[in-house]
Amino acid sequence: MKISPFWIITVLILIGGYLFAEWAENQFLFFAGYVVLQSLIMAVAWNILGGFTGYVNFGSAGFFAVGAYTAIALHQFLEAPLIVLIIIAGVVCGLIGLGTGYLTLRLRGVYFAIATLAMAIVFESLITNWEYVGGSTGAYVITPTEVAFFDSYIEMLFVLMLFLALVSVAVSRYLSISRIGQGLAAIRDDETAAECMGVPTLRLKLISTTVMGAMMGVCGAPFPFFVTYINPLSAFDLLIAVNSIAMPMIGGTAVWFGPVIGALLLGTIQQIITVTVSSELNILIVGVVLVLFVALAPRGIVGLVQDVMKKRRGK
Amino acid sequence: MTSLFRIQRRLLLALGLAAALLVTPLTQAQAQSGDPIKIGFSMALTGPLGAGGKSALIAMQIWEKDTNAKGGLLGRPVQLVYYDDSTAPAKVPGIYTKLLNVDKVDLVVSSYGTDVIAPAMPIIMRSGKVFISLFGLDVNSKFKYNRYFGIMPAGPDPAVDWSRGFFDLAKEKGLKTVALAGADAEFAQNAVKGARKNAQNDGLDIVYDKSFPPSTADFTPILRAIQSTNPDIIYFGSYPPNSVGIIKAANELGLKAKLVGGGMVGLQFASIMKNLGPGLNGIVNYDFWVPEPTLKFEGVEEFLGKYQAAAAGQGVDPLGHYLPPYAYAYLQVLGQAVETTKSLDDAKLAEYIHATTFNTVVGPVKFGANGEWAQSRALMVQFRGVQPNDLDQFSKSGTRVVLKPDSVKSGTIAFPYKQ
Repeated sequence: MKISPFWIITVLILIGGYLFAEWAENQFLFFAGYVVLQSLIMAVAWNILGGFTGYVNFGSAGFFAVGAYTAIALHQFLEAPLIVLIIIAGVVCGLIGLGTGYLTLRLRGVYFAIATLAMAIVFESLITNWEYVGGSTGAYVITPTEVAFFDSYIEMLFVLMLFLALVSVAVSRYLSISRIGQGLAAIRDDETAAECMGVPTLRLKLISTTVMGAMMGVCGAPFPFFVTYINPLSAFDLLIAVNSIAMPMIGGTAVWFGPVIGALLLGTIQQIITVTVSSELNILIVGVVLVLFVALAPRGIVGLVQDVMKKRRGK
Repeated sequence: MTSLFRIQRRLLLALGLAAALLVTPLTQAQAQSGDPIKIGFSMALTGPLGAGGKSALIAMQIWEKDTNAKGGLLGRPVQLVYYDDSTAPAKVPGIYTKLLNVDKVDLVVSSYGTDVIAPAMPIIMRSGKVFISLFGLDVNSKFKYNRYFGIMPAGPDPAVDWSRGFFDLAKEKGLKTVALAGADAEFAQNAVKGARKNAQNDGLDIVYDKSFPPSTADFTPILRAIQSTNPDIIYFGSYPPNSVGIIKAANELGLKAKLVGGGMVGLQFASIMKNLGPGLNGIVNYDFWVPEPTLKFEGVEEFLGKYQAAAAGQGVDPLGHYLPPYAYAYLQVLGQAVETTKSLDDAKLAEYIHATTFNTVVGPVKFGANGEWAQSRALMVQFRGVQPNDLDQFSKSGTRVVLKPDSVKSGTIAFPYKQ
């Protein structure tokens, strides 16, 4: 049996991440790395609906926050292990994604985008008024000081996030290169024509919204354990939504590795800028780079590279 | 390319531009040089608490300059090492890890506000560092860290002690019914929670108890609803935009109650006080420092002189009565502890800070077992004789009369409140 290089690289990255966590002394790298990987999962998740299917989702922060608050609620209720919280948060947000898909089936373009934004606001209102998870005053999570197999909790979170990011990329790649991906691309190009050609658009759109929701929920679940204090304002931060749109747009939305490139590039730049120049400059960078790419290179870095290669081949 | 994709491109362009416009003036972490004692912190220099954070930083830089002019600490210069957390909790853990692991700071203090103080706690606790916080409300109640200290004078039970003075005034006047209204966000809800407890302890009849979204600007319907319950007391827990809306609506409607105010953030800021002018008269609200004779502590006027000179043209509070003296004071506490113990050892510093009463620009500071002030000194001040469009009046005594606590009282209440 031939094993794809993708899987070999994936396993190597995971092992490399664990060894890095064991050997690296500088704890700051884990915090910075966690944030980059969180952005990567959000970007990959957004791209499944926004890039592959062509439906722009402005409610990413809503799914992310529901994942985070599902973890908080279950942590308070059951004190379940983090991995269980992540799985349940994924299921809850997947179901919400499915529900969103059903409710917004007839909406396209701007109307779908507005509906997702509205959904995030609805969830924010609900959580703000839910006292059990801290309501508007927020909730604290006390993380353990010692973790098995790791020197610190943040090292464990970093490796966990790396694992989740690799799984997300693998799922996204599968959706992209399989028949599902061809169907999603058909919907993106012309939904009516795809329907006429026998593409099961309803089923594919629901798969797309469900996977996107589940991934974002999985990404949000460890967040309260990362910050240790969470309130609706930080969980539903609009910048989470902006980043998860900007990164695929910069990397390239048409292929599965586009958002990975965008997230690694933009996420790393943001982390460097935070501790060298200014945190707020991040927003300027995201804004300016997004405007430049949307205006000048709508197919992102991947598109630019493809154009260059095509020209070379032409010569 | 489909028309759908063109629409999306336009949407994304607008989004990108909006994100770029969110940016406020930039700041820069200081360069390090020599062999100074490094004090590290993140600060909310941009984002929702940016204006307050910037004024706190000015105060801290004044302390740095003053201390270095006196020869520094332990014969070494002091240097502030800071990063902007943009009031975003997610940035705080990374910043403190960098301060401790990469910048190797000797001492740490907090950013400004509960949201950005709490995420630093696990990192600080793991490092065993002394941590003095700037205006975090009840942060240590969950963590119970014995090297945590809060400079805010809210008292040992912050949420309750915060409004104790307000309800003491109500008790002295024999008032019976109370309406509670708070914005649906962290501080305001904690303030209302404390007020509710005080009202229940005093046997008051709560006739109205509701929240409103923090984005509320028009308070006419809310005040009409409150008025219909005819309360003696109205306690608000609100943020600056809400507080402005409440005062304006109260004046327009001719709000009738005997005691109005409580936990309204914003009524301490020079620009808002100037803007609201005589509309503030009669309101009884919390504050932390006002220029009354009973609060003229050693060094405070000299500090405010320096602050006001440094703040000119910086887009921050020009008077600096509310937050800056405390931003100066929390470094005074740390500096005094280092000087007296002649050490940077956190165990020694924590022990000393627990045991000592500090003389600071905000007066004597004594911490209790949980790191909060041993006794509350949350002021209840009443606006009196405020004139329109006059900023200077707030630098003089008489416009904000201290009613509670009795130890620093500067006048008696003008009662009842009426429009």
